[in-house]
Amino acid sequence: MIPDSVLLSDLERDALTEIVNIGVSRAASSLRKMINDQVLLSVPSIEVVSQRRAARLISEREVTDLIAVRQDFTGPFSGRALLIFPETNSLELVRAVVGGNFTVQEVIDMEHEALAETGNIILNSCLATMANMLKRSLTMTLPEVLRGSGASLFEVTATSEGLVLFLYIDFAVRNLDIRGYIAMILDIPSLETLKELLDEFIERVVGEDL
Amino acid sequence: MFEHTPLTLAAAGASGAWVWDIVQDSLHVDARFAKLYGLDPAEALEGLPSGTFFKAIHPADRPRIRIAVAGIVAGAELFSKEFRVITPDGSVLWMHGRGQSHFDQQDNPVRFTGLFVDVTERKRTEERLRVAQTAGGIGTFEYIDGYATVTVSEEFCRLLGLHPAQVLPVQTINSIVAENEQPLIPEPRGGNVPTELDAVFQITRADNGSERWIARRGEIVREGSGYRLIGVIYDVTAAKQQEAVLRELNDTLEHRVEQEVAIRQKAEDTLRQAYKMEAIGQLTGGIAHDFNNLLMAISSSLALLEKRIPSDPDTVRLIRNAQQGATRGAALTQRMLAFARRQDLTPEPVDIAALVKGIADLIERTLGPAWPIELGFPDALPPVFADSNQLEMALLNLSVNARDAMPDGGVIHVAAEERTVAAGEITDLAAGHYVMLSVIDAGIGMDDDTLLRATDPFFTTKGVGKGTGLGLSMIHGLARQLKGTFILRSALQEGTKAELWLPATDRNPITKPAPASLAPAVGAGDKMTILAVDDDGLILMNTATMLEDLGHKVFEAYSGETALEILQAHPEIDLIITDQAMPNMMGTQLAERVALDRPEIPVILATGYGDLPDNAPLRMTKLNKPFDQAMLAKALDNARSPRTLAKQPE
Repeated sequence: MIPDSVLLSDLERDALTEIVNIGVSRAASSLRKMINDQVLLSVPSIEVVSQRRAARLISEREVTDLIAVRQDFTGPFSGRALLIFPETNSLELVRAVVGGNFTVQEVIDMEHEALAETGNIILNSCLATMANMLKRSLTMTLPEVLRGSGASLFEVTATSEGLVLFLYIDFAVRNLDIRGYIAMILDIPSLETLKELLDEFIERVVGEDL
Repeated sequence: MFEHTPLTLAAAGASGAWVWDIVQDSLHVDARFAKLYGLDPAEALEGLPSGTFFKAIHPADRPRIRIAVAGIVAGAELFSKEFRVITPDGSVLWMHGRGQSHFDQQDNPVRFTGLFVDVTERKRTEERLRVAQTAGGIGTFEYIDGYATVTVSEEFCRLLGLHPAQVLPVQTINSIVAENEQPLIPEPRGGNVPTELDAVFQITRADNGSERWIARRGEIVREGSGYRLIGVIYDVTAAKQQEAVLRELNDTLEHRVEQEVAIRQKAEDTLRQAYKMEAIGQLTGGIAHDFNNLLMAISSSLALLEKRIPSDPDTVRLIRNAQQGATRGAALTQRMLAFARRQDLTPEPVDIAALVKGIADLIERTLGPAWPIELGFPDALPPVFADSNQLEMALLNLSVNARDAMPDGGVIHVAAEERTVAAGEITDLAAGHYVMLSVIDAGIGMDDDTLLRATDPFFTTKGVGKGTGLGLSMIHGLARQLKGTFILRSALQEGTKAELWLPATDRNPITKPAPASLAPAVGAGDKMTILAVDDDGLILMNTATMLEDLGHKVFEAYSGETALEILQAHPEIDLIITDQAMPNMMGTQLAERVALDRPEIPVILATGYGDLPDNAPLRMTKLNKPFDQAMLAKALDNARSPRTLAKQPE
């Protein structure tokens, strides 16, 4: 069960979606400059679910194994961020990011490196924007690449109590559409803090229209 | 200004276009936007405060659009929102706003451009579709050949127990379908174009694992070399279950019909048996009544004869023999009436132990020395509510049966114990305290068939002339009449236990008064003028003769009507004695008529039936048929004494 204290209202969800959108837009801009071609990133929606449910959600939607870039963050709210792709898409993503002048073997060799870098750009932008928009600061660890099932990525155990901010991300690189997910695993106190900060943000932006 | 943006090209089909200058913080809109918002077109093109953008947006949608625009202003690239706009005439339109942010060299957003598309119609259609889906429990899906995913509706996901999504992998959907079923969505690159979509699938819901049945309907649209499937699914579990129940019912129909027929046959047998018993009861009651009249004529004639003829020992012996025969005949009719439940029982608290001890001697003498009686009674036994005469007869009867079951002799156990019975524990018995009187022999016993019919009237295993076949049925009738029951337990070669269950009572047993002197108080009373009424000439003559012999003056009437006429003509009549069972006017009816004109005249009602109405006038004295002269004299005495009420103690 998700406690009421961390349930996001519609507006809070909208606000968080927009903040993450700003982050991914910045990431897209960085990637554009890096590969010198069109990159569009957007986050259409967001959900707060339990770790167990996040694992199920992703395994319902993705039938292959997953590949993920992971970074931990600490600050007023702490947790772990994951950028997740279906494994089948990862090589396409890498090929799109590095361009067409490489052999398959070269792409495979670069996969790990390229993914870590791409993931770092996207996750960093998102978290930095969140910190910035919410007027707080966050510290982040170096990216790590993981492979596995939904359950293993979300570290579902019998005692998992964390909640997951689950975001869908549409990734369009060089006319290639890739679907992926951003997941932020937070404990309940961190999520409560995030919720408070979102309310402050809404108050600032919406003002008298609330 | 609009020529700077490619959006102007797309704006041809749009309801308005805007350019938001983030640096200047001003909003520039085209003529359609101005019309939609009710703005002056010239001013609108020139530039308005940026906050004007939110002015016409429905208040309920305004906060989230403000948040979205705040995202754009802070650096988000794409804007795509649906919201309501209130036009100057007050109508509400759904708009899809699509926009994009433009950045300078330093990645700072400088302009936010976009356009409105009126999606009101689409929104309404979507709404209708959504209601149709949720209300009808119908989920839609669309699948294009070759793809690994399916576009689905929320209801589609709900029906399968999946999380709501717009797109699901084919594999996720098909993994829910039972293994032996065809896939719900054709596997990618399966090759064959399906010929139709109509099918029913058994699934295991993803969320709770419940087994459901899902129907799929839809259309197949050919597109080039491939195809597209547009279809719906809905839950048909209830229909499937009903179908299964129906099939089950059908399969077992024959068996159930057989069972039903067997039950019905058994019920019919029971009913037929009940009818038979009822008929026998009626018949027996009728015969007994006639017998009673005949025996009465014989008995009273013999009594008068004995008085009138010269005293000769041989003659007297013959007459007494005949009397005894008549008496035994009367006893037999009593039994028959008891069986037909027409004889009155006089239930009273009876101490069974005392009763059995009192009669044990007599029984032993009746049975013979080879069959000693062994009594088994607890020290304290509650009295039962019963008729002691009938109980004695029953005991005698059971003892005789026990003796007959042991032709070579043997001990007969007579025992009693107190038992508490719960409701439904023993057939026919209400919950309560009972005393179970049992007569046990170690004789030949009965097989099941015999046991089953043992209490049927006239059923007997004894040789012709040895038994009437009424004994056990009479005991059964007696037990039922006293709200008890009679149970026979027996097996061949294992003896028989006859149990007579009678309700216990907390009332103290009545000590019977010593029998009154049998010698009639003939002539003790005054001479009276008596009107005797009976439809049977023989009885009437007898009654009249006995009355005259007692010294009274007698008028005779053959019917109630005649009786009333005679009464009219002879005011000196002191008393009426009438038969109860008469055609046209019953004895009680006659008594009522008499009570109207001559309330002071006592009426004696002679009856062989036990069914005297409960509300019979109190001053009526009852006289059981057959009666002899002594009984008649006593009844006359009772009738004349105003304090003597109702029934004779018989």
